[in-house]
Amino acid sequence: MKEQPLADTLQLSEADKEDQYVHQVYDEIATHFSDTRFKAWPVIERYLLELPVGSVGADIGCGNGKYLGVRATGDIFMMGTDRSKALVDICAHRGFECQVSDGLDLPYRDGAFDFAISIAVIHHFASPERRARAVAEVLRVVRSGGSVLVFAWALEQNGRRNFDPNTQDVLVPWVLPASKAQCPASRGGSPGEGESAQSKVFHRYYHLFRKSELQELFEQVGGCTVIENGYDRDNWYIIAQKI
Amino acid sequence: MRLITHNMLKCHVKNCTDPDKQFPLRFKDVQLEQIDAERNDEFLVRMLPRIDWPALSKTTKELDIILPETVPGNPENDEEFLQALHTAILETHIKQGSMLCDGCGHEYKITNGIPNMLLAEHEI
Repeated sequence: MKEQPLADTLQLSEADKEDQYVHQVYDEIATHFSDTRFKAWPVIERYLLELPVGSVGADIGCGNGKYLGVRATGDIFMMGTDRSKALVDICAHRGFECQVSDGLDLPYRDGAFDFAISIAVIHHFASPERRARAVAEVLRVVRSGGSVLVFAWALEQNGRRNFDPNTQDVLVPWVLPASKAQCPASRGGSPGEGESAQSKVFHRYYHLFRKSELQELFEQVGGCTVIENGYDRDNWYIIAQKI
Repeated sequence: MRLITHNMLKCHVKNCTDPDKQFPLRFKDVQLEQIDAERNDEFLVRMLPRIDWPALSKTTKELDIILPETVPGNPENDEEFLQALHTAILETHIKQGSMLCDGCGHEYKITNGIPNMLLAEHEI
């Protein structure tokens, strides 16, 4: 039977929820996750291809570095950060520039970049305040007049996933085949599991954005003008310009 | 980690806010590697405003890398400058070592070219 998303009823602090249901999960599934993240989405690709030569930017929550190589080497420069060391290792292995960092607290000076992208990341922050802080960080690190592109999972989805329209905070399953495990014997599973040939299910915490919520979040954080917003591939997205 | 990246980093420990101290981070016990990269002069000239030149100058001095003290008036015509800039920011990789904050003393480690910029809970 296919694993279904669950409503989030976890009694954990926000930091603990992110730690157990985002950070630890990505570290476990990194290689398998990376294998499934290879095709650049058109809206993001277009945004990156339209940047002028000489642009320097940040990919916040860069994952396996999918977007770090979209532009030809030498044309623009992108550096990525991700909270998952396992994913950052994959980026580095691919020759990209990246660091381990939390999106709530970026290691960059104010206004350092011409642009920043954060693709399918901020939905992993477990409270409205933390999501606002993540958006504020994305904006902080770009210069006045610079632009940001943010994608976040939508509550209203057309694809394979069935989300309850009344439940925005969910745990989404990830099935890790036994053959793709990062460290097959090192994680304690349920008692008696040991090195079985079974696949393992992980749950990732998501806050699904309802229509207009992403725009409202940007307006609440302020200091920016919304240039474009839309829906693409089960995500709401926004392009905003820093004032 | 390339030097262009280092030029964007600052210490982000809570209450470490003196801009003269938290940036640039000071290198300690570093192993460098130079890796050739194709030079794009248009990129170099256009991206100059992103570089904090005093910080880059200070850092390259610490690493014994040659770089002019100031940006020339016509960088696009200055072959020597462009080559020095390109080598410094795009071809110089810090593979191992750490970055220290002169303000609060925090040490950010670099392993296999990857900086760990995470902070402990009390530092956020």
